[in-house]
Amino acid sequence: MAKAPKPQRIRDPLHNLIPFGSDQFEHCLWKVVQTRPFQRLRRVKQLGFSEFVYPGATHTRFSHCVGVFHTARQLMEIIERHIKSGGQQVKTHQLQLALAGALVHDLGHGMFSHAFEDVGRALDLKYARHEHVSDALIRSGEVAEALGDLGTSFADEVATLINQRGPETLYDAVVSSQFDADRLDYMRRDSLMAGVQNGGIDFTWLVANLEVGTLPRGVDEKKLGDLETFVLGPKAMQAAETFVLSLFQLYPSLYFHKATRGAEKVFTALILRLIRLAQDGQSTKAGLPDFHPIIKFARDPNNLENVLNLDDAVFWGALPMLCDSADEGVRHLALSLRDRRLLKCRDVRNFLIAELGVRPADAAGKKAWETKMARIEELIIERSREWSDKHSKAAPRILIDQEERDPYKRFQESKGPLNQIRMRTSSGKILDVAECSPVVAALETFKLCRLYAAAGDSEAMEAIEQIAGSTLKENQGAD
Amino acid sequence: MQTNRSDRERAAQIVRDAGGRIVGRTRMQKIAFLLELTGLGEGFHFEYKHYGPYSDELTKAIRAAAAFGLVNVDEQQTSWGGWYSTYSAADQRGKLSLKEPVSLAMEAAKLDPVELELAATAAYLKIFEGYDDPWSETARRKPEKAANGRLESAKAAYRQLMSIEAPRRLPNIV
Repeated sequence: MAKAPKPQRIRDPLHNLIPFGSDQFEHCLWKVVQTRPFQRLRRVKQLGFSEFVYPGATHTRFSHCVGVFHTARQLMEIIERHIKSGGQQVKTHQLQLALAGALVHDLGHGMFSHAFEDVGRALDLKYARHEHVSDALIRSGEVAEALGDLGTSFADEVATLINQRGPETLYDAVVSSQFDADRLDYMRRDSLMAGVQNGGIDFTWLVANLEVGTLPRGVDEKKLGDLETFVLGPKAMQAAETFVLSLFQLYPSLYFHKATRGAEKVFTALILRLIRLAQDGQSTKAGLPDFHPIIKFARDPNNLENVLNLDDAVFWGALPMLCDSADEGVRHLALSLRDRRLLKCRDVRNFLIAELGVRPADAAGKKAWETKMARIEELIIERSREWSDKHSKAAPRILIDQEERDPYKRFQESKGPLNQIRMRTSSGKILDVAECSPVVAALETFKLCRLYAAAGDSEAMEAIEQIAGSTLKENQGAD
Repeated sequence: MQTNRSDRERAAQIVRDAGGRIVGRTRMQKIAFLLELTGLGEGFHFEYKHYGPYSDELTKAIRAAAAFGLVNVDEQQTSWGGWYSTYSAADQRGKLSLKEPVSLAMEAAKLDPVELELAATAAYLKIFEGYDDPWSETARRKPEKAANGRLESAKAAYRQLMSIEAPRRLPNIV
């Protein structure tokens, strides 16, 4: 008789013990963890350059993915309880698809995650986008083989679930909802490891009060149907507020910290320059040999093997060579990362807020103020880009960072209940948390607009100041 | 077709192409995508999201167009509990700004948003992911949207769009 596989355990700073059972399903997932694509995640940091600001933020995608699986298993217990309480049977296949999806959802993240995605966007490289890489890695190769024990189409179904379709069943809520396992792990793990004290959530109380509710969904003006997903019970009001506020705090303090974002901009500019040199047959000038993984990727970015060979460690290993590059742009950017000589930042949004004065409280005044802000920001960015294009040689002298985030995950294009955090009131009505909490209702989308230049580039910094000042002056009175 | 005009001007042009008014974010995105496929587009880059072809550049450009008064965006609540946006082309003084409309955009703007999403998704899957039978794949990825005869209606709508003259034909998938 074949011996049952040994149960396995991982110690984790957030969850403490993460067990993998000896049943066939969890044993298969344990095999997935042993594959080369999954082990690569040990060499991709979860927060990229955040360690430049928070030295403790060196945790990896590997620990996050295992943590997401663990959290997903906890969330799935809520779903199982709900299904059984209704006298229904749990659909094991759908349950397992969602749990496997939780484990492998970030498999395709490249070196420095989102900074590398900017390279992909700039050059339209399919495999610089983590969704495409994840999809390919799950559907074929070692991961597909490990998942194959759960059914011939299991790997394909997992890939479809996490990359191609939105939430369709209640089971999907553990990977696609406002309280999915991904967010419940990263918010806690990232703040714990970075050491920021303002990103905490009351996880135990949130999970204890998660319920299943039915939400309508639609496309534009048309209703499509209903979907069962997670909602919060009435006793979790304060925990819900903390959850939303924590996310808002994490954007400026951690995820969009100006120094981290500046380092990411330098990294993106450096990789773009390297790829261009390599594609022009000038890899020697770049400072890297032809067989270096970055050069091989630059020359053949549609080869999955070349993608799999890239990770943070590969980049750090290349850095000494890049610092000796014959190309001025590469050398300059590499040195600034090696020695943490960060860019100087001009926060355009903060500058405009200070100059335009407090935003009016009434709806019409608020809208007019926001519109004017957006218009001036747009003009400052356009003019700064023009200046940089005109005055730069090897690498852009002004780098632009413009982003916005709200606390909601987007599961449909149209704005609607699925894209909101919903609460069940004591009378049984399901409402947007903003309708129950004045604090949440008052929150605005987090926006940033920043311009960066090298610390020693006084000409670029002066150009930024001049552009910002003159653009504001031109538009100050206009509505 | 990429031009030297700003992103916001190119976004506003899509609304003008559709006759000056587009109802809904989904219609806005899918019309822009179909214009791109037929050589009538404004050069926005699209990628696959689970709600079909989507351009983040276009979303940002529309926001900028609204800030500059090139597009008016009116948000209204639906009967199903969501919201939908209506985009109307405007000049800097907020007056309706119309140029020669584009038939394909005009017709697409009249379509049911779910059917338009299904049709645009099938075209995307054919062109960018090489599916021989993009409708089956669309139905696999969007089972709820494709149900209740909507996939067939989407095919009929697509057939109608294909018959409209354009510099490049939509892929022949019906």
